[in-house]
Amino acid sequence: MKLASAYRKEMTIAFRGFYFYVEIVIALILLAVLLLAVDEYPEGREKEYAFYDASPAVVDAVFAELIEEGTLVPGEPEELTMKPASFEVADEAAGTSARYSFDEPRAVSARTMLEMDRSTGRKKKTIYLLDSEDDLLRLSFSSGDVGAVIRPGDDGRLYYRYILQGYETERVSNLLYALHAGSLDELGDAMDRQAVRSLGPVDRLDARESAVPLFVTFAGSLMGFFIVMAYLYLDKNEGAIKAIAVTPATVRTYLLSKTLVIMSTVLASSSVIVIPVMGAKPDYLLFYPFLLATTFAFAALGLFVASFFDSMDDAFGALYAIMIAFMLPAFSYLIGSFDPVWLRFFPTYPVLQVFKAVMLGKTDVPYALAVLAAFLVGGAAILLAAEARFKKTLTV
Amino acid sequence: MVSVRNLSHSYGNDGRLAVDDVSFDIGKGETFGFLGPSGAGKSTTQGVLTGLLRLQKGEVTVAGYDLRTVRKERFNKIGVSFEQANVYSKLTALENLRFYADLFDAPTRDPHELLELVGLAGRENDRAGSFSKGMKHRLAFARSMLNYPELWFLDEPTTGLDPAIAAVIKGVIKAEQAKGTTTFLTTHNMYIADELCDRVAFIVDGSIKLVDTPRNLKQRYGKKLVEVEYLRDDGSIAKETLRTVDEGDRERLAGIVRSRDIVTMHSKEATLEEIFIQITGRGLD
Ligand SMILES: Nc1ncnc2c1ncn2[C@@H]1O[C@H](COP(=O)(O)OP(=O)(O)OP(=O)(O)O)[C@@H](O)[C@H]1O
Ligand SMILES: [Mg+2]
Repeated sequence: MKLASAYRKEMTIAFRGFYFYVEIVIALILLAVLLLAVDEYPEGREKEYAFYDASPAVVDAVFAELIEEGTLVPGEPEELTMKPASFEVADEAAGTSARYSFDEPRAVSARTMLEMDRSTGRKKKTIYLLDSEDDLLRLSFSSGDVGAVIRPGDDGRLYYRYILQGYETERVSNLLYALHAGSLDELGDAMDRQAVRSLGPVDRLDARESAVPLFVTFAGSLMGFFIVMAYLYLDKNEGAIKAIAVTPATVRTYLLSKTLVIMSTVLASSSVIVIPVMGAKPDYLLFYPFLLATTFAFAALGLFVASFFDSMDDAFGALYAIMIAFMLPAFSYLIGSFDPVWLRFFPTYPVLQVFKAVMLGKTDVPYALAVLAAFLVGGAAILLAAEARFKKTLTV
Repeated sequence: MVSVRNLSHSYGNDGRLAVDDVSFDIGKGETFGFLGPSGAGKSTTQGVLTGLLRLQKGEVTVAGYDLRTVRKERFNKIGVSFEQANVYSKLTALENLRFYADLFDAPTRDPHELLELVGLAGRENDRAGSFSKGMKHRLAFARSMLNYPELWFLDEPTTGLDPAIAAVIKGVIKAEQAKGTTTFLTTHNMYIADELCDRVAFIVDGSIKLVDTPRNLKQRYGKKLVEVEYLRDDGSIAKETLRTVDEGDRERLAGIVRSRDIVTMHSKEATLEEIFIQITGRGLD
């Protein structure tokens, strides 16, 4: 069959070329970094400022209980400094806001409590205990960390008031709310509607694992897209395309053989990372079809874009813009609280989400299959469009 | 084998025609030469005939297929050698031929035999990237013969090759002619056209000025040149080539014979190039 032969030829050329090894070497370097340099459970560097609006005796009693539980461990006191600042604080519950202005710098010594993760025994968060709400506001404002005002109620329960920065998603505030103040049941509806992905500690990829969805997403999208264009322009420069054009083989066979090579390369480079890092955890039966389907679509897009330009130099602007667009969803992935709606329209967004779920072995299978089908159909449509264009332009 | 009627082709939208209203026919087994200077439109014509360039205007039938309908299977009967030696530099000579052979739905020739034929025996397993320009050209030339083509397109088959290699290529072309292969050959080398072609078309600025056999051309225009050397008044020797078919030239010749001391004078057979210049007013380079 012509496609099989064309595929063998393209693979032979890829093995003797440069790009194939670039991908594999990048994967190997990343693997080495992940295995040797990245701690699976890094110490949490998160900070929280807390002000207990109660008498020292009550505060000590509360802490004694938490320390007893093992949730908190007393830490060393720390020196904190505050610069002059002015800002506004809005009270969402009351719908009011107040301006604050501090002209003097200030230094305080704060007691600290370390919040521990009971499953790993590692520090999750450092809590600074402050003596005034003003200090809390100033520190929270200048550092961007969460502040909490805690007041024991007459009913014996603790009431929390959180100082946030205003740019956190609703999900974050809901979670904080659920964590301390209300029961999860109350929030159930709201969270379902937002299709909340778990932010909690239960279904989390550890620090090492969380690099994997990013890598496999970018192997297929960025690298697949870029390398297929590079291969095409190599052929164009050598003029080999003209020779193929005067045989009974079709443009479609040619383009398909190119996408198959990209799919094979991505398959190899992704496996280099996924298998050693993730072990048996992922849904491999879903992972590989999903990887191949999405890579197919990105490679098809690469060919389509290439059909508009004569050389890599001409194509560079478009190539660069598209690659940046593909990268944007990574911000949402890395910064859990940054998740604007417009990001979801970038093709790498759903891919990243599905890969993350697949790595956890907790995939929403119908959703993943829907995304997979969309990429297959979209990829095929783009490839057909590329074919139509190349029939006219490939050989001139 | 090939029939071209009123073919025109333009690369841009500026209305400039690279090929302008060209018509010709190539019979079965014939070798038809396109002779013309650089930029005349030779490669463009071959491009349209081989389907690399879209047929814009005119009627073209190639190997029995009307080019207005695209039928990929016609390439089973066609072999194409390009101006540029376009082989995969990352593949060996043998792999280049093997993979190419797989693209046909017709019997193909033994790659070893072809490599031998073009003098690349012993280099089968070397990558084409390590080949010299002439070797790559021979490899691409060998590739064009893989599918036993009935119709063979050769774009400048010997241009830029050293004479020994050019002789090898010419030999191969002659052997194929003897087997009855129809050949379309473009060149700006009149010796090649003279030696290999049954008929030659003179093409300049996209138009065909004349089509005939090299022999007829030479009979009609040959022996009609007189080269005369005579003494000038200052004793130096002057040399002129004059056409006996041209009234002015004849009178000038008569004048020289009457009034000058002739050193040498002989009639000369015109080369195709001289004929080309006479007819088109243009040189071949
Ligand atoms: N890809 C192209 N785009 C635009 N113009 C072109 C292209 N290829 C050729 N031309 C123009 O078309 C005309 C004919 O070119 P063509 O290559 O057919 O000439 P040729 O007779 O093969 O010349 P040569 O002997 O140099 O190979 C020239 O004026 C050339 O500039
Ligand atoms: Mg040419």
